[in-house]
Amino acid sequence: MSKWIEVFRSGITFENPLMRLMIGLCSVLAVSTRIEYSFFLGVAVIFVGVMSNVVVSAFRKLIPSEVRIPIFIVVIASFVTIVDLVMHGFLPGVYAVLGIWIPLIVVNCMILGRAEAFAYNNGVWLSIADGLGKGVGFLIVICMLAAIREVFGAGNLVFLGVHVLSLPAWYQPPSLLVLFPGAFLVFGMLMAGANALELRKRDRGKGVSA
Amino acid sequence: MRFDLMIAVVVTCAVAALGLAGTYAVTAERIVEQQRLAEARSLKSVLPDASEFQQVEDAKILQSAEAEAEGVFVSAFRALASDGALIGWGVRVQPRGYGGPMQMVVGLDRNGKVTGASILSMNETPGLGTRIQSDKWFLEQFAGVEASGVDKQLKALDVIAGATKSSRGVNKGVAAAAHVYEKVLSKAGGE
Repeated sequence: MSKWIEVFRSGITFENPLMRLMIGLCSVLAVSTRIEYSFFLGVAVIFVGVMSNVVVSAFRKLIPSEVRIPIFIVVIASFVTIVDLVMHGFLPGVYAVLGIWIPLIVVNCMILGRAEAFAYNNGVWLSIADGLGKGVGFLIVICMLAAIREVFGAGNLVFLGVHVLSLPAWYQPPSLLVLFPGAFLVFGMLMAGANALELRKRDRGKGVSA
Repeated sequence: MRFDLMIAVVVTCAVAALGLAGTYAVTAERIVEQQRLAEARSLKSVLPDASEFQQVEDAKILQSAEAEAEGVFVSAFRALASDGALIGWGVRVQPRGYGGPMQMVVGLDRNGKVTGASILSMNETPGLGTRIQSDKWFLEQFAGVEASGVDKQLKALDVIAGATKSSRGVNKGVAAAAHVYEKVLSKAGGE
């Protein structure tokens, strides 16, 4: 159980797919203009990541290594299509906005990467922890990025149709933030923050050992 | 020949296909229903007096409408009052905005006056291009535009600063609907 928690936690912290491994960034930069859309993309990524990890790890002994990549892709694409169809049928409002980014989860290298690097070599139970941990790590970072861009780029924060917070009317939101350059700028700042945190931790670790 | 490789891939694909077929069977009806509902809501919002919308299926009308607004025209609806009289037209168009085609409905009354425009779905930049929908005044200014000489009237309308391409997209959609009305629908009549 402790190993399970360790694997799960590493996905959020020092193996965070976005902040540390820097994979699967493309859709994050594009979708993180609104926290609501980011949240649903994160949920979709968690579902696909966990399910593909489960299937790959359960059948890992039966999958010949020569054709493993095509098989991973078929598995991932199937779960993505399931998400796509279900979202289209049951959450049409969200689907209309996420549009192309849901099918593109297929080529999100974070999911294929986890299937290849983790699920193919580990049991089902640990692979769930890995998929869940990486997915939650993805969700947290994309929501942080989206919250910052939405608050300062649009002047308010709306989640599930509820106005969570509004900046005073004198604040003129710079539209740069909701456009692509804003995504890079804010993401860079988040990265700097994450690095600073890690450096501080490392320094403290040195202090103890010395 | 490594048959085990082939078998592995074929079995995976077969299982995946079965799973997808199952999901599709469950969701297909709902997806079509959702799209139909969204379309009906939009039609109702631009032509609130109509009680029924009848999709135009006459191949000749559709063909000439297509020719009039190539790539933009999608479909047309007769708006009928409760007694069955024709009171206007709903035209589904998909003009290009900044982030690809925007799905729109434009309503016109029997005299060719635009009664309203509504956006079904779009991929415009959130918080910027999407203001064509969230800034209510923008779509409202299209109501009252006449189909004849539409291009000139549209030029006089306001554009959202910073969302020029999205605003132009809506303009193109309304213009296309007006052209289709003027050249095709106004001559097609009630039946």
